[in-house]
Amino acid sequence: MEPNVQGNLTQFNEQTLELPSEPMRLNMGPSHPAMHGTIRMVLDLEGETIINVDVQPGYLHRGFEKSCERGNWAQVFPYADRLNYVSPMLNNVGFSLAVEKLLDVQVPERAQYYRVILGELARIADHFTCNGASAMELGAFTPFLWMLKVREWIWDVLEKETGARMTHSFGRIGGMAKEPTSTLKQDTLDMVTKVRDVVAEAESLLLKNRIFLDRTQDVGVLTQEHALQMGVTGPMLRSTGIDYDVRKAEPYSLYDRFDFEVPVGHQGDNYDRFMVRMEEVRQSCRILEQAVSQMPESGPVCVEDPRITYPEKQDVYHTIEATIAHFKLVMEGVKPPKGEVYSSTEAGNGELGFYIVSDGSGTPYRVRVRPPCWYNLQAAREMLVGDMIADIIPTFGSVNMIGGECDR
Amino acid sequence: MSSNTFTLDGKEIPFEPGDTIIRAAWRQGIEIPHYCWHPGLSIAANCRMCLVEIRSGRQAQMPILKHDPATGQYVPDTKPKLQPACQIPAGEGMEVYAQSEQVKEAQSSVQEFLLLNHPVDCPICDQAGECKLQDYWLEHQAKGKRKLSEPVHKPKGVRFGPTIVYDAERCIMCTRCIRVSDELAQDPVLDMRERGNKNEIVLSPGRELDHDYTLMTEHVCPVGALTSRDFRFKARVWFLKSADGVCSGCATGCTTHVDYDPRKGRVYRLRPRDNEATNQYWMCDDGMMTYKEVHENRVVTPLSSRLGDLDMDTALDTLAELLKTTPSEQVGVSLSALHSTEDNAAWRDFFSTVHPAGGFTVGKRPPWRGDKILRDDDHNPNTKGVEQVLGGAAEALPSGMRVLVALGTHAPLPNDFDPAEPDHHLVVLASNRSELTDQATLLIPVASWAESRGSYVNRKGLSQSFEPAIFPPWDVDPAWKVASRLSERFDTQLQYISIADVPQVQPPPRSTPGPSAQVRA
Repeated sequence: MEPNVQGNLTQFNEQTLELPSEPMRLNMGPSHPAMHGTIRMVLDLEGETIINVDVQPGYLHRGFEKSCERGNWAQVFPYADRLNYVSPMLNNVGFSLAVEKLLDVQVPERAQYYRVILGELARIADHFTCNGASAMELGAFTPFLWMLKVREWIWDVLEKETGARMTHSFGRIGGMAKEPTSTLKQDTLDMVTKVRDVVAEAESLLLKNRIFLDRTQDVGVLTQEHALQMGVTGPMLRSTGIDYDVRKAEPYSLYDRFDFEVPVGHQGDNYDRFMVRMEEVRQSCRILEQAVSQMPESGPVCVEDPRITYPEKQDVYHTIEATIAHFKLVMEGVKPPKGEVYSSTEAGNGELGFYIVSDGSGTPYRVRVRPPCWYNLQAAREMLVGDMIADIIPTFGSVNMIGGECDR
Repeated sequence: MSSNTFTLDGKEIPFEPGDTIIRAAWRQGIEIPHYCWHPGLSIAANCRMCLVEIRSGRQAQMPILKHDPATGQYVPDTKPKLQPACQIPAGEGMEVYAQSEQVKEAQSSVQEFLLLNHPVDCPICDQAGECKLQDYWLEHQAKGKRKLSEPVHKPKGVRFGPTIVYDAERCIMCTRCIRVSDELAQDPVLDMRERGNKNEIVLSPGRELDHDYTLMTEHVCPVGALTSRDFRFKARVWFLKSADGVCSGCATGCTTHVDYDPRKGRVYRLRPRDNEATNQYWMCDDGMMTYKEVHENRVVTPLSSRLGDLDMDTALDTLAELLKTTPSEQVGVSLSALHSTEDNAAWRDFFSTVHPAGGFTVGKRPPWRGDKILRDDDHNPNTKGVEQVLGGAAEALPSGMRVLVALGTHAPLPNDFDPAEPDHHLVVLASNRSELTDQATLLIPVASWAESRGSYVNRKGLSQSFEPAIFPPWDVDPAWKVASRLSERFDTQLQYISIADVPQVQPPPRSTPGPSAQVRA
């Protein structure tokens, strides 16, 4: 069969013997030690160059949205935690805000500051995980552990506050599960100092390294048009130069009271995504400092409506009204009025949306999640075509596809 | 229907002459919150939960002190009184408001007063999950407790009678139970004692609550003050589902809700289903207890006096063999006034078309004590139905009968037929054990009324259908299906796949349904 040297094959020098060749189809995943999460990619390779990628997600589909229809609104929180499991607080906050929008209720200020503090800590943990893993895939093991050390410290703070390191189910409709501890403010400020130091150290480890720069710059390029066509949001979108951040575009949870910037890249390559995430960590530190200084020392941490929040346990034991409130909330659940609402927040990967439909009863009728990395993943194909095999893992790492969020 | 209307929150509500506001609204499916009103009882107007604002006509005024912003003093003034919707007759052009601020405040206050001394019993109270105090607290009050002192304590767990236990602390003194005993049961055994917060319901001296409608006092009680000793602590109501049933106690044919737990496949209780045509809102105690026969004394596997325990296919084979080797004029059939019209029709068809029998008769329970209220003398739910199935044919068993196939737990045995004789065979198809089944030479189980679909024709000729609640035991089918299964062993086959295949005798007559009647043919 005559080979076709035209088209999208690499151009050979006329002196080279034209050997017959076909693209090689290589399967990567779903269980691949270097891939983030379970995802399958079917690659068509021309030598080392990728000419086509078929990204096949869905290997972590656990029926999150269907499971939500089998309980109360409050029973969605453990499921929500396990969406983007590297920054669970952000998912919790996102879902709470959606239901509160349907209930048309505002949580007290102290609860909003608390959500911001824990949420930004989770975001820092998310970005450090992503960047650390990206560095490791390029061969730099030390920065990975260096950044994960900070993640451990953050998780220590979260454990002190919520009782669990990662999937803590701490959000509640109408506020938070518990009051903040007395050490929250000091712990957060300590964390901010440490985080800033580690960011500087990690950058110093990587940003002057020739290999790092060569392997991340101009690799996995995402154009602005393509990003917008695919519905990409979050650090991936901002790395292409578009500064869309839900915290600035439609502020929620008092984000309009904080003074922070939205870092933006130029080219949409892996390097820009790495740097955007590092800068976001610095901006999160600024937000944390301001939140800690503005947060009231006392006040309720849940909206005080017995139709939404459990009454005090001592009252439940001794008064009939509290018993009835507790009974109704446990047996029948919070009952948002009939209707549907879409509410979005800025999660670690972009715009996390919840579209919820209530039929007036305590059981959700429909909970649809807009997972940011599902749409981000759509862009992965264009980013990978034309690059080499060795670029797949770092590029895919910088997409930060979290399987739990993508496949739900 | 009169063309009179009044407005309720701006909506036009038609009413019939003599209707109160709450009844007219109830007919349209609008609920004005209430405790003491009941559509089947007289008006008491003591709970004050149904207070509404009537802004038309001359309004009764009440004196208040109003704050005068000009002088900063409180000056005497009047404001219109709220009226109980259960007592005020609806009038043409009346303007009633049940959602105004004043009404909402009144509802919240009434609810607060009712809960003032209420014991914290929800975890142990049977009414939890179907309790009006709980529902109205959530809808109309939703606030915490303001009283700081110890609630008033009253007698708890007072045995009123063999069926009912009374708890005075939970009681809200709505007097529904007193009115049920007075008006429905015609036995004024309950009354109220003391005044104010010392109120409690008491029995007449030397009496206990033992009339035929005691469980109706529990049914109308909106809170957990009166509880049924039979149902107490057995099941939580939010695990129970309801099927539409018809009581199988007597020929009145009260319609019921059959409450069962689908996880366990058990029926836990019956409740009356509103039906203007038969039982209005009530049932008698014996009817309420008929659910027990679904789980007691059941026939579950076929039994042959010669061969011992069999499976259904072998039993049906045995029966088919017996019928094929017995001439028709020596086979008699006893249909059952305890089984549905469809069950009876299927067996009539079998013994007319598949293997003709020598004669038909009807098995019935002997008559019991009826009354003028609900209970009928006839202890069988479907006497009229079986009459229709037989179509007026003579009810006579053939003389020299050797094989009697009896449907149901009761059958008239003629003198010259003795199942103990080796030549005589008594085949019984029943769901429960009885004197008859103990004598059977071949006993075949059928599904009970809670496990099958069907219809009964009551004493007035009204056909009412019921639906199954739980699944029957393994390989046990409703009687009409067993007839079809048996016919597979013969040349002519009935081939009934669903109950709609069983030919009905005649189209059932329809009655005019009440506001919430659920009569289905």
